[in-house]
Amino acid sequence: MPDAPILLDLGIILVSAAVFALLARPLRIPSIVAYILAGLLLGPVTGLLEVGEGVELASEVGIALLLFLVGLELSFAAIKDLGRVAVVGGSVQVGISALLGAAIAYALGLPLREALFLGVALSFSSTVIVVKLLEQRGDLSETYGKITLGILLVQDLLVVVVLTFVSGLADGGSTLTDMAMDLAVAFGGMGLLVAVAVAASRWLLPPAFHWIGASSEATLVWSLAWCFLLILGAEHLGLSVELGAFLAGIALAQLPFNDELRRRVAPLVNFFIAVFFVTLGVHMDPAGALGRWPLALALIVFVMTVKPAILLTVIPRLGFGERTAALAGLTLAQTSEFSFILAGLGLSAGLIGEELLSVIGLIGLVTMGLSSALILNSRRVYARLRARGALKLFQAPHEGARDREGAGGGHGPAYGLRDHVIVVGMNSLGKRIVEGLRDRDLPTLAVDTDPSKLAGVGGATLVGNTDDLAVLESAGIRRARLLVSALQIEDANNLLAYRCGTLDVPCSIHAFDIAVVPDLREIGATHLMDSKTAGTRRLTEALGAEGIYG
Amino acid sequence: MIELAMLLAAAAAGFGIARLLGLPAIPFLIFAGFGLSLTLHVEPGYLQDSLVLGITFLVFVAGMELNPRRVRRQKTAAVAVGTVQFLVLGALGYAAARALSFDPQTSVYLALALTASSTLVVVRMLQLRRQLFESFGRLVIGVLLLQDLAVILLIPVVTRLPEGGASVAAGVGGTLFLVVVAYVLLRWVLPELLRRLSLDEELLLLAVLALLFSFLFASQQLGVPLVSGAFLAGFALSSFPVNGVVRGQLNSLSDFFTAIFFTALGASLGVPTVAEIGQAFALALVVVLVTPPLVALIAERAGFSARPAIFSGLLLSQTSEFSLVVGLQGVMAAQIGASTFTVITLVTLMTMTATPFLANDRLAIGLMRFHPARRSRVEADEPPEGHVLLLGCGVSGMPLLETLVIGTHRVVAVDDDPQIVERVREAGVEAIRGDAADVSLLRRAGADRARVVVSTVRRVEDNEHLLAMAGDVPVLVRVFNVEDADWIRARGGTPVLYSDAAAEGFLDWFDRGGWERPDSLADEEMEQVL
Repeated sequence: MPDAPILLDLGIILVSAAVFALLARPLRIPSIVAYILAGLLLGPVTGLLEVGEGVELASEVGIALLLFLVGLELSFAAIKDLGRVAVVGGSVQVGISALLGAAIAYALGLPLREALFLGVALSFSSTVIVVKLLEQRGDLSETYGKITLGILLVQDLLVVVVLTFVSGLADGGSTLTDMAMDLAVAFGGMGLLVAVAVAASRWLLPPAFHWIGASSEATLVWSLAWCFLLILGAEHLGLSVELGAFLAGIALAQLPFNDELRRRVAPLVNFFIAVFFVTLGVHMDPAGALGRWPLALALIVFVMTVKPAILLTVIPRLGFGERTAALAGLTLAQTSEFSFILAGLGLSAGLIGEELLSVIGLIGLVTMGLSSALILNSRRVYARLRARGALKLFQAPHEGARDREGAGGGHGPAYGLRDHVIVVGMNSLGKRIVEGLRDRDLPTLAVDTDPSKLAGVGGATLVGNTDDLAVLESAGIRRARLLVSALQIEDANNLLAYRCGTLDVPCSIHAFDIAVVPDLREIGATHLMDSKTAGTRRLTEALGAEGIYG
Repeated sequence: MIELAMLLAAAAAGFGIARLLGLPAIPFLIFAGFGLSLTLHVEPGYLQDSLVLGITFLVFVAGMELNPRRVRRQKTAAVAVGTVQFLVLGALGYAAARALSFDPQTSVYLALALTASSTLVVVRMLQLRRQLFESFGRLVIGVLLLQDLAVILLIPVVTRLPEGGASVAAGVGGTLFLVVVAYVLLRWVLPELLRRLSLDEELLLLAVLALLFSFLFASQQLGVPLVSGAFLAGFALSSFPVNGVVRGQLNSLSDFFTAIFFTALGASLGVPTVAEIGQAFALALVVVLVTPPLVALIAERAGFSARPAIFSGLLLSQTSEFSLVVGLQGVMAAQIGASTFTVITLVTLMTMTATPFLANDRLAIGLMRFHPARRSRVEADEPPEGHVLLLGCGVSGMPLLETLVIGTHRVVAVDDDPQIVERVREAGVEAIRGDAADVSLLRRAGADRARVVVSTVRRVEDNEHLLAMAGDVPVLVRVFNVEDADWIRARGGTPVLYSDAAAEGFLDWFDRGGWERPDSLADEEMEQVL
């Protein structure tokens, strides 16, 4: 490709990532592992890919956007909701596993600094993998799901602190005072950045985004511009790209349309993060890791047994039952994508060598692969462990009533809704339909892309574009009684009818023009609202009232 | 990272200004990029990467929209208008470029750049005006699709022209091969795969991108320009439901890369010279002066009435994002200079900015005065009196007509669609073909002396003249939005809110438990209407 090496590189990366992910799917290997394997093939194994400057930038953008996305999930309300158990459980787990992990590594002959680094890097669990699998199983609203999510979010905050430390260290002062100064500067910068983010989330961003709100294209670009401006600010203050992106996300998370924004950013993350993980695989040196196989093996066993054990000890002390603690523990038995990021940063800061990077990579690869199988079968594993009496050691109280399905709170506007009617498009027709259904005491969920159109609409509401399957999922479409679309957008309506067909949910679609009818019938919409004909009928009545006939 | 932040900030500013002025965003994105390059230094290698990625996604997504079903009944008209506009504008563009003393090769590029109109701008305008579903909206979409396709298929020809006939044939052969592959995928492979695999969103996105890049590899091997490969990859995904399922995932990516593309484009422009501005202005004039009458003429011959025909012409009178694609291809193939590319960009900037001012109702109605075929003689007929006047009939108006015919009053119907007029006449009702927003037609139809006027025209604003001249005549207007109902009421008309009627119809169906049984009464009723 003349003048376009970037296309060639990205092409190789994405095609191999897609092939590996597709092959990994029936084996239930998470996509992240598949990407790294693809990278291993392209780099160390075949040497097909030389990572150029453009690809390097793309993978950096990937991490930044991932942190931005994690920040977007952290509304202040969510932080409050998860409360004590998350904070205590999360910090105790991270602290103890970091120390124990470091002790093991030190015992196996690593120098103290590297051992500590390794311990910290392995103490985090993977937000992306866990959230994805829990969502897939519909377990996010269960008590153990909520606790896991809370612990992961606390870990994310701790990661940010650690990243700040490491990037403070990366500037390289080897004397203790230098280091302390660096840390002070880093923390000062962090304080400043947090202040900016909080102030912006209160005074600057709401009016600005309210004003631009009309077009979702502009909203996306504005939020990305905000994200990268804060990244620049972070870099300027000597902080990490990750921290800037994360704070930018939190600041935007307080806006009313943060759910929609998250869904819009998610595909970008998926694209760039694939590049990041493949590149990571390219940089890995598995041969080097195999040289340290006793260390790697010991730490893999550590991550998969000791980390769950810590949670099994801590969570019951905070007033939860054995089952909840065990399921949460089993869910968190892997290392995190941040372990890799941290390792990469540690390498460039000279804190660890290439070899240790490979060890961390290998541990991540194995634990993520094994634990996703574990998560998908966690209930069975728990039952078996219990039957064998393996859990008696932890002396956790047996299941109390409060441990079952969590009542109230929950996630998303459709939480707890069942047999509801989803009404898409809050134009005059949609609003009338919602009113009519509410007069009949039916639970409704109104959906529109424009938050201002949802203002004053009764029942539950959701901001989002229904072209996106995730929006329908958060509307609880699988549990809905009926979906009604009042939209006057042909493509969106066709897609809704198609999706309702595949999910086996009846739907009534606005056939706003005679031209859209044949396609909707072919797709198999349950019912069509022919508004114009209905209007004509009413016109006829009005003419009768004028005394035109009769 | 700094570069990306700068480009995004510029793009954000571009969107902000566009929003402030209520104009299309593309010109302002380019301006913002240009402003950025004046104040700060942006790494050229980085700009190059952004342009390449941006153009790939832009063209890819455009290919996904290439669904002939969108055009429906207007296919023949679209082909007629599209072909004639393409050929005439191409020829005139070539002549104009030669007259401005560009060399033949550069003139070919300029001509090709002038032939395309902007899908991004026009579709946005049609959406804002809710005219995508009027027959002229379909016509315009058809023309745009045809132009995109023609440009993509001609780029391999144009870039290989200097190498002689054999090379051109090889390029065309390679392109046709990819067309066939894309069609096979579109028709038989991808819908089946989608059904079988039911991928999650992440994997779906990745699979789609893998398809895109595979097409790029293939086009590289076949010596076909990358943009053609990207466009055809999009085409392979253009059938329903594949395009719909993919669109949700791809939207963010294309929005992101498109914004980056236009700002990077602006940032890589040099400061234009006076000569370049002059040349661009001359070429922009060709586009703006030739397109409206040309399109109007052919559209009318294809059966459209005067105003929609003129309006189609005005809507199409700008150059396209594809013109920029053509220019970039020329620059990359080292067949045109940077100066020519600047001219192409300037023409696009000028014409796109002008579009919202050109494509407005007042200008369209004003232009009708110059319409040669205005038959003022027909007005000699005495206008009807004491009749029921039905403005805008359409398929959904037929049941009303049937009811009215049984009544005792004289009925006159007005519609701008010749096929509808034909049907109404067959049903034995007096019908006038024409534009219900046109004062002289309203007079001819006796709107000010009718017993009652019923309006079902699509756009509420089109009732303005009617309501102004109706006086004491009761005017019933079918409207969808509550806001529109207020607007009508404020001007003395009686709104009939059909969203309300539709909601009642729905609730009726719901109460009957229609959603539990697949066959409902409402459906049967609709069958009768059809």
